[in-house]
Amino acid sequence: MSDQGSGTPGDDNGSSASDAPKLTVSQIETELEQFPSPVAERFRLASSALSGRLADETLQEWAATGLEISRKTVRSWEAASEYFDASAAVQRQLPSGQFLRWGRTGSSLCADSPSLAVAYFKASPAAMLRLRPRYIDDWASVTRALYRGTWKSSALAARLFESTPMLLETLSFDEFCSFGGFLEVLSRRSYDSASDSLTAGVELFPRLGSDADHFIALARSISESSWRDVKDLFDAASDSLAELPSAHRVALLSLARRLNAMGSTESSGLLRAGAKAVASVPADEREKLLELTDRLASVHASAAPEFLKSAPGVLERVTFAQLAEWHSRGAQISQENPDSAVSYFKLESAAASETLDALSSSIELTRVRDVLRMYCQALTGHAMEVSATQQLADKGIGWFQGELPTTEGTTVYLPSVINRYLTKEDNFAFYKVVSTHQVGHIEFGSFSFTFGKPSTLFDDLRPDLPGAQRLVEEIAADAQIQQQMELAQSPEAKQQLSELRGSAAASTGEADAAESADVPEQREFLTDMSRFFDLFPDNKLALDVFTVVESTRIDALVTEAYRGISEMYGKVQESALENRPELDELPARESIVEFLIRWSLGQRDGLIAPSEHLESARKVRRLLDRMKSPEATVEDAAEATIRIYSILENVRNEDVDEDEFESVDPDEQSEEGEDEQGGDEEVNRDDVIQQFMQGAEAQAGEDGESADGQDSEDETEGDLPAEEDYSSPQEIDYRGEFKPELSQLLSQLQFGEGGEMGEEIEGMEPISQEQLEELMKNAPEMDMQNAQEGEGEQEAPDTDELIENLMKELQKRDPQNQQFQQGPMQHVDEDGGPLEASEPNTFTYDEWDFRAGEYKPRWCLVHEKEMADGEPNFFRETLMDNSSLLARIRKQFELVVPEQYRKQKRLEDGEEQDLDAVLEAVIDMKIGVSPDEKVYWRRNKTERSVSVAFLLDMSASTAEAIDEAKKPSDDWGAPDDPVEYMVWLRSRRAEGLRRSYKRIVDVEKEGIVLLVNALETLGDSYGIYGFSGYGRENVEYYVIKDIEEKFSDRVPKRIDRIAPLHATRMGPAIRHTAAKLAEVDARSRFLFLISDGRPQDRGYSREGVEKEYAVHDTRQALIEAKQNGITPFCLTVDKSGHDYLKTMMEDFSYEVLPDITMLPARLPQLYRALTT
Amino acid sequence: MKPAGNVSLSKLDRIRKHRNMTTNQDYREIRVEEYVVEEEPFYVPSSDEIEVFEAAYRQRVPVLLKGPTGTGKTRFVEYMSWRIGKMVGAESAPKSENVPANGHLPLVTVACHEDLTASDLVGRYLLDSTGTRWIDGPLTRAVKAGGICYLDEVVEARKDTTVIIHPLTDHRRTLTIDKLGDVIEASDGFLLVVSYNPGYQNAMKDLKHSTRQRFVALEFDFPDEEREAQIIAHESGVDENNAELLARLGAKIRNLREHGLEEGASTRVLIYAGRLIKEGISARRACQVGVTWGITDDPQIQRSIDEVVSSIFP
Repeated sequence: MSDQGSGTPGDDNGSSASDAPKLTVSQIETELEQFPSPVAERFRLASSALSGRLADETLQEWAATGLEISRKTVRSWEAASEYFDASAAVQRQLPSGQFLRWGRTGSSLCADSPSLAVAYFKASPAAMLRLRPRYIDDWASVTRALYRGTWKSSALAARLFESTPMLLETLSFDEFCSFGGFLEVLSRRSYDSASDSLTAGVELFPRLGSDADHFIALARSISESSWRDVKDLFDAASDSLAELPSAHRVALLSLARRLNAMGSTESSGLLRAGAKAVASVPADEREKLLELTDRLASVHASAAPEFLKSAPGVLERVTFAQLAEWHSRGAQISQENPDSAVSYFKLESAAASETLDALSSSIELTRVRDVLRMYCQALTGHAMEVSATQQLADKGIGWFQGELPTTEGTTVYLPSVINRYLTKEDNFAFYKVVSTHQVGHIEFGSFSFTFGKPSTLFDDLRPDLPGAQRLVEEIAADAQIQQQMELAQSPEAKQQLSELRGSAAASTGEADAAESADVPEQREFLTDMSRFFDLFPDNKLALDVFTVVESTRIDALVTEAYRGISEMYGKVQESALENRPELDELPARESIVEFLIRWSLGQRDGLIAPSEHLESARKVRRLLDRMKSPEATVEDAAEATIRIYSILENVRNEDVDEDEFESVDPDEQSEEGEDEQGGDEEVNRDDVIQQFMQGAEAQAGEDGESADGQDSEDETEGDLPAEEDYSSPQEIDYRGEFKPELSQLLSQLQFGEGGEMGEEIEGMEPISQEQLEELMKNAPEMDMQNAQEGEGEQEAPDTDELIENLMKELQKRDPQNQQFQQGPMQHVDEDGGPLEASEPNTFTYDEWDFRAGEYKPRWCLVHEKEMADGEPNFFRETLMDNSSLLARIRKQFELVVPEQYRKQKRLEDGEEQDLDAVLEAVIDMKIGVSPDEKVYWRRNKTERSVSVAFLLDMSASTAEAIDEAKKPSDDWGAPDDPVEYMVWLRSRRAEGLRRSYKRIVDVEKEGIVLLVNALETLGDSYGIYGFSGYGRENVEYYVIKDIEEKFSDRVPKRIDRIAPLHATRMGPAIRHTAAKLAEVDARSRFLFLISDGRPQDRGYSREGVEKEYAVHDTRQALIEAKQNGITPFCLTVDKSGHDYLKTMMEDFSYEVLPDITMLPARLPQLYRALTT
Repeated sequence: MKPAGNVSLSKLDRIRKHRNMTTNQDYREIRVEEYVVEEEPFYVPSSDEIEVFEAAYRQRVPVLLKGPTGTGKTRFVEYMSWRIGKMVGAESAPKSENVPANGHLPLVTVACHEDLTASDLVGRYLLDSTGTRWIDGPLTRAVKAGGICYLDEVVEARKDTTVIIHPLTDHRRTLTIDKLGDVIEASDGFLLVVSYNPGYQNAMKDLKHSTRQRFVALEFDFPDEEREAQIIAHESGVDENNAELLARLGAKIRNLREHGLEEGASTRVLIYAGRLIKEGISARRACQVGVTWGITDDPQIQRSIDEVVSSIFP
């Protein structure tokens, strides 16, 4: 290299070097001594390294350059020192000519900024490994371009030098240059941002590989259009791009660039969404996805990112082919109406979700909620609600899963989407199965468990168990009542009952004494369910058993009562079986619980149980099968639970080898199952009682450490193998989270039933915090939860919080409590709670949330005010200005009146004979023909009974001017009376000052004036109201004329004051008007809405979803009005009104006026058409 | 009237021919006041309504039957008219000679409608070639014949009808015919029975207190599942199993009353569905056409009911 280089020495002589007389190398060395010592030291090191490799002349020139650098400025010796330091390494890479040039380039950099040169020299050795020699100058100049004489710019440039070696590892030099160019552009805006980008780039480019150029190009164009987004772009790229395969990366980047060129500022969002979308698509579809996006981008730049964003969500519901279809439909729609493209691809337009819905086989709860709600209502006969499971979890009252269906007695919670099967029908059927099972709990009384109520199939054990001892008397009293009640109906029950009493008395005799001493505190139970679970030392196991048993009972009853869905029911049970854990992998006790579950789900073959416990398995199975009897009640389920529990408690929960399992013959059971009736073949009563007694003692000994009493007792028998902690079985999807205790608590308040406890509660003061805490502490449902939380990653829900939530929930449910609920603050934001109408003339109304499909209770506060009086002139002038129109309207209306009272002639019966008809009849008789019998007339008795309310939009937008040829200002209207004249003049003048144009609201007013005049001739009762407001707590409602109010001088005065105010929250205004109309006694009632645009208000009509929200709420309000027998009609002057009015006024009449000035003439016409 | 032209003549001919062809008369023409229920109507009592009605009849206290449509009000009146008629016959000592000789009690049923006026009940003059001729209305005939006059859905009738009802329902037991200037004292067997459906919840269609307090009121509601299954099985001839399922469906649909449905499914529509099932229509379809579509037009509710149907019927 070096010998080649020596052939072309200094073909481009540095100007400064040639000025001074040439010094020898050693002279230079001496010269360098005057600088700080590192300079000379490094020089010596370098020159000794180079001396062998460079020609003398070259060496001399090299040294001279060094000296020159040192002399440049005060601090340039540092640069020189770096120069010498780097030289040896650099020289190895470069021919001597270029080597010298490298030095000179550095030298000139040093002239700009020594620190720049320092960085340059420092970076050079590494950079030269990657940099072609001929690019050195370019490298320097690209970097130098960043330098603008400031400290920050030099730091940036220096950093670029520093980073060069790393950058060049992945970037080509061209790419490096464009990156430099990008930094330069960006640095003009912000050095910090450029510096950050540089750092990010260094990290990012290696990950992008060969696609960095595309990215740099994009970054550059963004830095030009919206530099602030650059940082986000780098973030987005490093978050998402790096993972993508190159081809898709390029496609995305170039798409982003194109969109950016078209004015989109969403580039980083696009990258993120794109990467996510691509990742969610199978590999072979990815290209197609990008192609779709690309195609969309060429038509609707802003829709493309939205498409990518929505794609993953859409793909959760449909296949890729269907996505493409959805896309093309969207593209088509967007072609017809470009504005709708974004909302379509954002999935916000109705068309988008409809299309998607048609394509997908999945079912969303929101779509079928109403159907399911009615279905549940029909089945239970209670007012039921249907909600997404997540909503229950969000309430934080004890259910946490948020996925599994459940019910708390009044609402059925279902998963928000079902996409298990290939067809919509099957998916819906799954919803149905789940709902039927859940409401089955309500229909068949899972939550109306009464502790003291005897079962139908068993000889009751409950009253004899130790936990229940102290309640015996109480129960006996209850039973007495029950006995009497049942006396008439079933003598059997009576007999059973007396037996029960007898046995209870016998077996409790000796136990009583011991028990009363042992139990120090008297526990109170909120529910019978709590009392029941309290019987068990291990109430977690008890709950699990009860869940299986009760579910089996419900399943049996449901499939019996609803044979129509039994097929699907079976299918669901079957698929539930597929995901069960293997029996032989579970410890013994758990495996038997699992065995029960499988049996309850209908599995017959291949069931196994530990050989040792085969008999127990058979016993519990027999007990479970009794639940399939149609007579089984929830109390039977409880009795079965006690027995199964007692069997399971004797099964140690230890690991069992696979080969120690034996299959349980499914047939054996049915034979034996036939003949046993009512008796206790599976368990011995006294043994069970004894067992529970021991359990209770152990528990008492442990100071009430609730769940593990039994376990610790076992542990004392040390010679046995270790017992596994019992853990609850895996849930079954359609059965969901069954929480009988909480549900009973919640539902008994709602329905005011639920046995003895319910009655107590009604008479008692509300449930106290302490009672709830007690319940929480002891409820196995909560226990189970805590155990799960312990294993899981999430933090355990705060018990206090839980109780608080539960208290709130209970309060809400207690109908008596309702009105005492504390009224929330007056001014709340959109996220706040219900409002309270505390002041006079304020009213609260619900608001319809179409997304949730439910009302937000007492969401809006309407302030009703009487409109202040204005001047009467407007009224008078309008009448005068429109006298010809007025005459026409009057005539039309006068025609209406006689229609109402016209005689109906030729009737068979009526008030009087009609002379003409009688004459004809007489003549007919004379002729000998049978006469026409219809000789009567009668007044049409259906008198006109019309009541109408006009609702005027007084939103700020009505202040908009309408262009209208200026009328010549005429003074003909001036009144003669001097006083009136002065008033008139003043108002004219004031008006002249304010405005000389007509506003929309003025035309509205004119229309009303003319109509009022005409209405007075017609005699219909009518009201005029205006509305406006801001925010849901400030819906202003102005009464201009109440429906029942007589027309007076004040009405014209009030009309004068109709003026543009604030926003348009239509829903509450419509509801309030409807409420007023509903009070009026009239045969036909109309609500006439006159508006200038779509409904909007704070939190009611913002971009996107909100816009639809307002429209849907308004629509709902109109539907409510319609249901109350009010006919709504909407007249709007918003020319773009057709799009939303189609949704808002679906099934209702509306008219969009093409020209606002038509309003005064059109309004009466419409009115007449509508009401006659 | 127009002189009969050729066209009319040929029309008459056709009619005559037709009459001749159908000489085997399979209908009976009975005068309104002579109509008696001869066969025992199928009626399953829900409580003591039969005894109460009998007592009311013995004391000639007018009876008001309240209840939603299709709960057996009309059937009850038919049954009672048969039952009392039989008893009167068995006693074989009619208290009045106006009670028909066969001992049965005439039953005059008037279905009231919006345009039903007083003269539709009392009677009116008709014109004929010789002048006018008075013709008694159904109420007048019942008053004279001494039977039960049953005004079905009485609130539907025009208000002027109440004027003539009132004197018939108190101690006077008289019917005033102002066009004739007559007052008719009701024959001994006469009893006014009216029905109305309070379910309409319409202020316009409510019975005035002055009217309603002239009756003893019997409330009718849908029978319980078991009884209803029995009724359905009997009336439609459908097998017991289907009858039970239909009754269950009825109960479930009635749960939706006040939650979207104005009226629950009446026993009648269940019976109709049962008849269709008996004819071989599939149960689900029969319920759809017989029950679902009949009781509501709201597609959402229809869907919900269909789901209940498909749950109940395999």
